[in-house]
Amino acid sequence: MRGHLLTLALVLGLISATYIWQVTRAPVTLRVSTTTSLYATDLLEELARKFQEKHPKVIIEFTPVGSGEALKKAENGDVDMVFVHAPNLEKKYLEKGVLKFGEIFAYNTFVILGPKDDPAGIRDMDPINAMIAIYEAGEAGTTKFVSRGDNSGTHNRELWLWNLAGLDPSGNDWYIESGTGMAQTLMIANEYGAYTISDIGTYLKLSSELTYLTPLVTQGSELLNVYSVYVVNSDVIKGVNERLAYEFQQFVLSDEIQNFIGNYGVVEFGSSLFSPANGDPDGSLREAWNQLAGG
Amino acid sequence: MLGEVLEIALRSIIVSGLAAVLATSWGIPLSLKLVTDDFRGKKFILDVFRALVGIPTVVVGLILYFLFSRSGPFGGLRLLYTPLAIALGQAVLITPLLVSFAYQALEREKGEVWELAMSLGALKNQASSTLIKETIPKLLNASLIAFNRAIGELGVALMLGGNIKGFTRVMTTAIALEVSKGEFGLALSLGGFLLLITYSITAVSRMVGGKS
Repeated sequence: MRGHLLTLALVLGLISATYIWQVTRAPVTLRVSTTTSLYATDLLEELARKFQEKHPKVIIEFTPVGSGEALKKAENGDVDMVFVHAPNLEKKYLEKGVLKFGEIFAYNTFVILGPKDDPAGIRDMDPINAMIAIYEAGEAGTTKFVSRGDNSGTHNRELWLWNLAGLDPSGNDWYIESGTGMAQTLMIANEYGAYTISDIGTYLKLSSELTYLTPLVTQGSELLNVYSVYVVNSDVIKGVNERLAYEFQQFVLSDEIQNFIGNYGVVEFGSSLFSPANGDPDGSLREAWNQLAGG
Repeated sequence: MLGEVLEIALRSIIVSGLAAVLATSWGIPLSLKLVTDDFRGKKFILDVFRALVGIPTVVVGLILYFLFSRSGPFGGLRLLYTPLAIALGQAVLITPLLVSFAYQALEREKGEVWELAMSLGALKNQASSTLIKETIPKLLNASLIAFNRAIGELGVALMLGGNIKGFTRVMTTAIALEVSKGEFGLALSLGGFLLLITYSITAVSRMVGGKS
């Protein structure tokens, strides 16, 4: 009996010690869900580090997931802010009142990648015709296409492009739904010698491994990739730290950080991975966002 | 929808079933060797296997990924992102678990069966086959437990299979995908279904394994 009591005391002691450690570890914690494509480049960790230099008591926790899950986490009250790139999904959550203070903070492009010998012949085509050419080559049995298939920002963009091309590839043998993150989808395309769509950042980061893939279509307004940052609305979602989230958002939008984003990756990749929005002076990014959100 | 879920469940059972068969095919002879032979380093090997029971699934996935990748030594076989790659990876993953259980079962019976047979003048091979025959329910039990570990793991299936719809998508990768889509409800029902499968396997293993 005494032995049991001792064990029980030990277990309870361990649980409370762990709990106390958890809650006292960080005086203030900011929970952020982010699209994997943004997180994989380490940009957000850099931004968090810079923020912590000014606010040493704050701990920022990132959960890198697809944009779909990132937004769902916001709705469930598991995060205080989100970094995403899926305007059509963002719009839904804005309408639900889950998000507020939406700001575009950076952009880059999506690229259509394929095997070096380019069996569909899409090199330097415009994006819509490239999708049509891939579809035709797929139907002819000369190529494959790897889709994320995971409701992520990139997946939503891909579906939007098919839609603009007036095609529906789903269910075809040559249309492979990988259901994985960007990095692994690129590797699957590399392995199969197939076409795929990626944000430029993740591709550049991985390009040394992707020896069989090359970017074939990189130009076209349809490929603009807009990254937004949102604060979770504490009026609708209880228990989120709206004030701190807002502070971090404003920090990301500050001149200093926008400048930093514009130079991020230049040393390592020869070109920057992202372009800063710089407050979107001519409104063109917001216009593109509206178009993507409505389409 | 239901059709797809059943298809995924069936694929999971086939892939992990193949993994369990493979692991059994080399795990049982290995266990037998460990039980019946005395050689230097035997304890060490056993300890290594026991330690590897807890090997992270992604580590197994990662190692095999390098081997199977197009630029890896077995790249020419084009195994990566196929169901067979998952089965091979899971077989490697569950081998330590299977060997640990099988060794224990065989060791326990050895005193009665094997040594008795040997003392009655049986050849070593004959004694070993008697030992195996006597232990079959427990060995089967070990295989079923290993199967449960295989069907419930995510790391290998994701890294070597790639979660390709209609080809390498299994229960666990499908659950991970639904979560990443924000479809928590569907993920939960898939999870419940997976539990049902593993529970049924456990119940079967209880029946064939007797009291154990």
